[in-house]
Amino acid sequence: MSDLPFEEAVYWTLIDLANAFLTGTFIGGYYAILSMGLALSFGVMRLVNLAHGEFLIVGAYLSAVILQILPIPPFFVLIVVVPIMFGIGYALQRFLLNHVSVQAMERRGMSANFGLMAPILVTFGLGIFISHLLFAIFATDAMSIKNSLAFSAIRLSMDLSISTLRFIFFLVAIAMLILLQVFLRYSATGRAIRAASDNPTYAALMGIRTDHIFAIALGISLAISGVAGFMIGMTRTFQPFDGPQFILVAFGVVIIGGMNSITGSLVGGILLGIVQVLAGTYFGPSAQLVGGYMLVLAVLAFFREGLFSR
Amino acid sequence: MADVLMRTEGLNKSFGAVSIAEDISFDIIEGEVVGIIGPNGAGKTTLFGLLAGTVALDSGSIAFAGRDVTKLPTHDRARLGIARTYQIPRPFTHMTVRENLQVAALFAGQLEQAECDEWVDQVLEFTGLKKEHAMLAGRLPLLGRKRHELARALATRPSLLLIDEVAAGLTDAEVDDFIDLIGRIKRAGITVIWIEHVMKTMLRATDRLMALSGGQIIAQGPPDHVIKTPEVQRVYLGA
Repeated sequence: MSDLPFEEAVYWTLIDLANAFLTGTFIGGYYAILSMGLALSFGVMRLVNLAHGEFLIVGAYLSAVILQILPIPPFFVLIVVVPIMFGIGYALQRFLLNHVSVQAMERRGMSANFGLMAPILVTFGLGIFISHLLFAIFATDAMSIKNSLAFSAIRLSMDLSISTLRFIFFLVAIAMLILLQVFLRYSATGRAIRAASDNPTYAALMGIRTDHIFAIALGISLAISGVAGFMIGMTRTFQPFDGPQFILVAFGVVIIGGMNSITGSLVGGILLGIVQVLAGTYFGPSAQLVGGYMLVLAVLAFFREGLFSR
Repeated sequence: MADVLMRTEGLNKSFGAVSIAEDISFDIIEGEVVGIIGPNGAGKTTLFGLLAGTVALDSGSIAFAGRDVTKLPTHDRARLGIARTYQIPRPFTHMTVRENLQVAALFAGQLEQAECDEWVDQVLEFTGLKKEHAMLAGRLPLLGRKRHELARALATRPSLLLIDEVAAGLTDAEVDDFIDLIGRIKRAGITVIWIEHVMKTMLRATDRLMALSGGQIIAQGPPDHVIKTPEVQRVYLGA
């Protein structure tokens, strides 16, 4: 930098900053979709879904496999993947997780601590099961979804550009966020989800079938994870044991944004994205993750409930 | 001979060694207001839990509107017309007063969206919550919350309303308002079972009293008669 004329040094400093904010923001959209399902299932069921990362990978495999069989444009695969993931989520909550939920444990007279632990242990085991099942089917060969957009970029100026895929995902994240909020706010089912998340006993007294409503909520959570898995496949390679690295990102995002706030996951995603890219720009690639987790720690230290918790 | 709306036979419930309901049997006649009195720990609130389905029975049976509802889960009983309120009101705090009532009307009340809005307006008017309809229910002051608790139960379109202590902590004038409100609920054709410690409400607003102690019905009948029975005098009034 010292060899450059002054104006040029200033220019490159600004370009670096602009690039960090731009890239970070658009990565934030991707992070938000990775995390939204986790925030939803925690917000509604108080469920810490430790299999969240594995479900993202299931979404990725599902997308990749279907696209190998059906030669359709990549984005159309979501029409199939989203309903399948919804079905998996619905069945999982209805036939397994409802029986080990905080509420179910309380009904059986177990202590509240055990009530919180049981579903965590079950989803932890589920995650291990899923990754090994994927391993049994696909082995550890890295997979990805071949697409023409992977290396394409939108050029803003000579030295500034953003990845086309990241840009699309950012728009998808915003669209999903708005859709989900409108659904939760104005539809009858959405209102039932909010009521059941507030107080399941009272919701039942209002005639709400909470078992069914919670199943729908996990269905939506996994449907979102299906979209997220598709994104993972579009942007990089993946293999059966990649779940944990994604759940770490998702936890970081929901800690920053607020554990039960869906809007918070977009803001949390963007903040995490920007901090990671800034750290990477100024302190090298190895600082990216450290920078991100320092932000997570700082939020935990100063805003216990996250920035956007209700 | 008036119709029996609810009939319970031999209700039993214990938590560990502690018996909370012991062989409780009674009939509730359509249109009456029945008061339940008894010392703390007598099993009054648990009895409501058994009737509404939030607490599981050990044995016994409950019939409601000619149907056996013993095995029905809470939400199905709510849809059939059993509503209950709690002593400590717990609105869905992140929803507005109107949304709280809408949920009740849509699900337990089984109304279509179009009829629902009109019905919710009626209930808001009836309970005097019209001005607060757009407020987040979590922001209501205590008195508002108590009204809201009743309003949300009414929005389920119940034929039987179980009211658990509204008068505690209120001024005389506020208690009178609730006595008036429950009178209007009765005139609207809704049967009421009402737990209360404030004796004035029980004497003025009920058709019949049941006294509970140690999970058993120790006396029932006309209010002024029940509070004069020796058992009630001894157990409840400490005389």
